[in-house]
Order: sequence, then C-alpha cells, then structure tokens
Amino acid sequence: MNCEVCQLKELEVEHFEIREVLRCILHTIVFHRALGLVRPKDVDLELFEITYVQCGDVELEKKIDEKIDQFISWVEKHPNKKSQICLSFYEVKSKQPSWFTNKTERLYWEQWYANLNVTQQPKQHSSKSHLTKVVVDPGESANEERSSRRAMVEASLREVLFQIIKFVNEKKDHVPPISEGVIYFPYEITMPRFRVRNGHDQEDAPQRASNHAQLIIGLGKLIQLG
Amino acid sequence: MEMDRESGKLEQIVSQFRSKILHVILNSRIPSLHHHYQQQEPLSLARVRKSDKWFNLVLGDRAAALENLNFSLRNLLDPMIIDIILVHHSSCSSSLDNLYTPSAAVGSPSDETVIERWVVQYDCARVNATPSGADTSSSYKKTYKKSIILLRSLFAQMRLLPAYRIFRQLSSLSQTYNVDLVYKVSSFSHPFSREEEGAMKEYSFVPVEAFPGRLCVSVTYRTTLSDFNLEPLVSLPSNIITDYVGSPTTDPMRSFPSEKGFHATSFSIRGARPPSPSPFQRPHSWSSGFHKGLPLMQNQSLAGSPPAYRTSPKPYDVVSPQSDIYGNRIRNRLPTLQQATAYDEYQLSPPFSASASPSPPAYLSGANPVVAHHCSETAPVTIPFPLTGRNSFHLSLNSSDPSRHSLPPLSPRSSKHDASSQESPSGIRSYRKLEALRAGESPSGLSINYSAQKMVRDTKDDSGRFSGLLSSSGSPRIGFSRSSSRLSFQDDMDDCEFSCPFDVDDIDVSDSPASQNVEGKKALDFTAQSVPVGKKSQDAAVGMLVHMLRTAPPLRQDPSCYSTHSSKTVGYEGGVGTASGFFMPCKTADALEELKSYREMRDLLLSKSGTRVVRKEEM
Repeated sequence: MNCEVCQLKELEVEHFEIREVLRCILHTIVFHRALGLVRPKDVDLELFEITYVQCGDVELEKKIDEKIDQFISWVEKHPNKKSQICLSFYEVKSKQPSWFTNKTERLYWEQWYANLNVTQQPKQHSSKSHLTKVVVDPGESANEERSSRRAMVEASLREVLFQIIKFVNEKKDHVPPISEGVIYFPYEITMPRFRVRNGHDQEDAPQRASNHAQLIIGLGKLIQLG
Repeated sequence: MEMDRESGKLEQIVSQFRSKILHVILNSRIPSLHHHYQQQEPLSLARVRKSDKWFNLVLGDRAAALENLNFSLRNLLDPMIIDIILVHHSSCSSSLDNLYTPSAAVGSPSDETVIERWVVQYDCARVNATPSGADTSSSYKKTYKKSIILLRSLFAQMRLLPAYRIFRQLSSLSQTYNVDLVYKVSSFSHPFSREEEGAMKEYSFVPVEAFPGRLCVSVTYRTTLSDFNLEPLVSLPSNIITDYVGSPTTDPMRSFPSEKGFHATSFSIRGARPPSPSPFQRPHSWSSGFHKGLPLMQNQSLAGSPPAYRTSPKPYDVVSPQSDIYGNRIRNRLPTLQQATAYDEYQLSPPFSASASPSPPAYLSGANPVVAHHCSETAPVTIPFPLTGRNSFHLSLNSSDPSRHSLPPLSPRSSKHDASSQESPSGIRSYRKLEALRAGESPSGLSINYSAQKMVRDTKDDSGRFSGLLSSSGSPRIGFSRSSSRLSFQDDMDDCEFSCPFDVDDIDVSDSPASQNVEGKKALDFTAQSVPVGKKSQDAAVGMLVHMLRTAPPLRQDPSCYSTHSSKTVGYEGGVGTASGFFMPCKTADALEELKSYREMRDLLLSKSGTRVVRKEEM
C-alpha cells in the first residue's frame, strides 16, 4: 500500500489566526477520512467568511484542539519561523514478534502537511483562549491594509480547502476498507520539523514522505515479502 | 446468480447515490428545505433513519418534494440535472403596494439566473460488458467506499462555492430579500449561452467506478455572484401593534357597507382570500406585522412545502419560500386566533396582540358563531340597555389596551349618566348578568346578544369603525363614569380580566347636546355612552345605524331569562323597550365625536408604524 503525501499550500498567517486556520484544515481533512456514520456539522470561521465541516465527534474535536494548543505554544517559543503540522492516517498492523520488539506497527497510508508561516510576534495571552486578536492602531490605512491582508489569507485558505478536496477525489485507491463501527481511521497529529525563514531547510525538502513514513513503508514491504 | 446479486447491489448504490446527492445539494442551496431540515429534532447517531445510513452521512429527513423528485427520476441511465436558480425580483414587486395587489405581484417581472448546475450521471459505456468474477467480488464495496468519499468532498465543496453565501443569507429568517433560490431537477437542460458560459466555471469530481459504468458528478457554477445585490425587503415588524385600532384606519368618509362588513374580517382571520381584491386591502387589527403579504400569500401560504421549480417559473414557485415564511406565520397565528375565539370570555381580544385591539365587533359578530357565543357572554354586562349590551359586548373584545390615550374618549353620554349611575345601578345589574352568563346560567342571553350582533352586522363595516361607534356608545365605562359604582365596577371587571379599550378614565364629563335628548328615566337607566358629535357628514350614516337599531328585533328571545334573572333583566327589558328611545340621544353627536377620535388614533398609528395604511374593501 502506498503512502500518499499531500503538501498543502503554505499559508502566511498571524498568530491569532493560527487556531482558526488549523481547525479548518485539520477538520476538513478528517471529515474526508471519517468514512463511518457521521452527522456533519457546519462551522463558520469567525475571522473569515468560510464554512467548513466537522464530523461532529467531540473526542476528535478535543484532540485536535489540544494539538493546536501545542502547536501554538511551540510557535510562541519559536517566533517568525515557518512551521508544519502533520496529520497522518495509519493502519495498525501486528508486527511479527521478535526478540527486539513485540509492538504493533503503524502502517501509514496517508500524510497531510499543513505549512504555516507565522508572521507576527505572539501577544501575551493564554494558550487556552479560544481566540485572540491583535490590537492594532486604528488608523484608516492600517485598517485597509489589514482588510486586504485578511482577504488574501481567506483566499489562500479557500485554495487550501479546494486542494484538499481535489486530493481526496483524485486518490481513493489507497484508502483502507471501512471497519464496522469505526467512524474515522486512526490518525496522529505531529509537528515534525520546521524550516528556517531564510529558506534554508534544516531537513530535506518536504516534497516526499517523511523519513519516518518511508521507514514504515519499507518495513511493511519487508514484512510482506517475508 | 452471484452476478445478479452484485448488479442488484450496484444498482441500489447508484440509485441511493443519486438520492443522497440530491438531498445534499438541495439542503445546502434551498432555504426552505434547509428550514425543514433545521426544524427537525436533532437525531443522535443511534436513532438515524435507514436513509441516513446510506453513505454514512446523516442528513435528516427528506422533504416530501425530494421524495417525489426522486421517484420521478428513477431511470438510472438518465442524467439528473439539478439547476440552482437565483430569482431576482424586480424592485416594484418588492414594494409594499404590490404586495397588496395580487394581480400586480403575479405579473411582476423577475430575473432568473442559473447560478449552479449539478449533473449526476451514471455513465454506463460498457453496458454489455461481462465482468469477471474478480471484478464483481468486491466491486460494489469499493464503489460504495469511493461513493462515500465523493459525497464527503461534495458536501464540503458546497460550502466553498459562491452560491453558499447567498444561501446562508436567504436562510436567515430575520430578513427577507429581493432574491430567492429555487431549484429545478430534470433529466435534460438547456445549454448555457456563450455569455453565461463565460461567467461560469466547471468542476468535475473524479468518477467513481461502478461496474459496468461509473458515477460522474460535475458542477458548473458562477464564479462570482456580486452582480446580484441582495436587497433586504422592507418588512413590517412582526411584533403586535398593541395599540392598533382597526377602525381608525378606515376612511371616515366611506359609506357603510350593506352586508359584508364582518365577512372580510373572518376571511382574513382564516387566511382565505379576500372576497374582492382591491388595491387597498385593509389589514385587520390583528394582522399587523404580517399583513404585508397576506392578500398575496393567503392562498399560497396554505400550499405545501416548497414546490419543485418547473421550467416555466410561476410566482407561486418563486414566492413559495416566502410563502412558507408567511405560511408559518399564518399557521402560527391562526391557532392563536382560534384560541382567542374560543377563549375565556373575558379575554376576547384579537389574537396576536398583547392587549386586544379594539376591532371586536367585526371580529366577533360575523366571524364565528362560537365566537359570538362566547363574546355574547360578556354582553349581559350591558343588557339592561341594548346599546350598552352590545357595546359592552364589543368592548369586551377590545380588552385591555394599554394605549388608552390613543382610544376615543368617553362620550359625553357616558359622563352624563354619571350622576344617574347611583340611582339606577344598571351597570351593577349588567355586571351581575355578566356573572350569571359566565356561570352559564343564562345561555339564552347568548342568543339574544348574538341576534343583537346580527342586527348590528348589517350596518357595520369591516373596519370596525361602526363598531367603534357602538362600542363607545355603550360600555361598562358608563359604569365607570359613575362616581360611586365606577371603581367597584372596574374592580369587578378587573377580576373578570375584563377590560375594554374604552374603559378609560378620560371621561368627558361635559354635557353634549346629544345627551340632552335622552328620554326621561330611560336615559337615566342608559348606561351606554353616547357617541360624541362629529362632522355633519356622518349624520346620515349614523342615522341609518340608529334606524336599524331601532327597528331591530328584541335582543332577548327567551322570556325565561327574564324570569330567571329578574333583577338582572329588568334593566335589560327596559333597555329593550326603550331601545329606540335609547338610541335617540346618542346618534349623531356621539358618533361623530367618536369618529374624530378614531381619526386621531389612526393618525397616531400611522405615525408609529410608518406603514402604509391599507384598507380592506367592504365585503
């Protein structure tokens, strides 16, 4: 089984926009991968005129919010840096027991990378707050600039959502069969790495599966051959 | 056999897929269907319907229109084309004037633009192909899984297309706009013009393999809808005008109708079409807030849920969502009205008003015999004096009106009997009669009162103006005007939850010429107020009314009532006997004065609401 990787278009966001943007992206992805019985829930963004869909699972929503909080905390510690958040879907495979390990193996079959470029210093606020807004000097030109910038972010976010839909439509064969009683596939949200602003990547360019995923894929193949 | 089973499952998947897509699209584009969905109780996943389990997407119950549409498009090989059409009403049709003119509304032009076209097709190019065993073994499972994914992406994409914003605006019940979203489902469609194509973009979902064919879904949509300016329509406030008085809106110069004064009211209450359409359909006192669309929507509001948009759009289709809104309003209001009619007798106020608006005579007398029955239970309050009885009857309908300042003042007639109130406690007697009737002891009194109403009916116009004349001419207010019995009577009335708009303390104690004509002690017993003098032009109308009252049959048919409640009926008998004399003094002056007050009230209401006064044509 191939691991399909989707690198989403980079979004340039301000600190207070991170939560909304990530919620929108992550929930949209999960909704497309929650192939069990769901009752879709429309959620309107507060900062943008975009409505996205959640699958209505409370636990899922809580977990995503936790991860976003962690991401925001990380961003606060590493300001003005491009960052990634990775949403991976996997299958649990029982690994052949050996005297090294007896654990189950996660076979990743899909990874989504959301790339964010946080452009502003975070203000002093609680990371648990629902939404924080930057106080700006209410000058007319500043407001206009802010509005145009907000419109650009909204358009970019909309492009990212269309990108998700397009990817989901084009690649369906790698999706595992739906298990009875399971709403969504097992997933994990990680923050694998970050890239330095000046363009120097600390690691290889993220145009392929992460090293971790590649390792898993390789092991999976070995197991199949064995 | 295995292949047949597989193909049967596949056919079922394709069929359900089409239904589900139709459901998703219309729920996300048609406001009325969205309202239907929202009105449903939120279902937990444990109690989902069978239809919801298809493709693991709970969408709620389908509207009846969807079921019918689905049935009519059961040929799976035909494409299912769903057009989302934006109907833009012209400015003239959105005005209040044309809303009161059904003919004008029917013919009003409207622009229709297809803003989205969804095409769902089962492309079966290889109909005769024979699938291999490996192909069919799990093909329907894969097809089903991929169909689920496609539906997910379609569901999400519907929220990203430009039409979704308009849908959300139109779905807002707090505002109505000059545009509407309707749909058309068919198996064929007219191609877009070159100009239309230039403004549209197409997106095709990746087809889902469904051997022997494949499921194809595509959408052609307008990239921008900024050309369609959503203009909110001026909507009348839905709150009840508590101080609205039906009669003041009527032109005081209009002539009295012959017979149909009450029917118009009743028709309006019941949501039926006005008998004679006219440019000016006077709203009823209880129709404030939604009478904007009442003449137009009455028939349509009683139609069903949103109709499928046909190829030739009709105003009915166009306005159906609005009519749904209006329909909801009317449906919501009708029960209230009926409750009010079948109420407790001392709460005879028109529905939808926190305090009754004083158009009771028309409302009560002709609308419903039951109403009259109940209403008449209050009439005995003024039985001793026929006019009083009727007036009190009417006044009982005009229960508490907080804006008493806007109501016509008491006629001098009432004040005249202030001194006599102590001598002839007819008001007290009438109150006892009221109590008796409340206890149901004298049902015959009801018939009498009803006949009294009938007597009045012919001379009353639907506006209630005349009733206002009557109501002001006889009421417990007379009792209030009496110095000693006033408070007690009022207290009793309060206990009975009875209040009438004319039970005001702003009694004009000044003598009026009309009051001078009261005959002897009959005048003393008269508890009704006299109608203040108005313009001379009203004399004829009032005189006609008086004549009719004088020649009316006795109010009470059953003499047993007199014997049963002798003390209560004495005054009534006296009232009957002296009906003619009773009415004599209070014809012109009181009536005209009351008309004047009605005018003031009308002006006040107009200034408050700021709405255009429309008048209901005489029935």
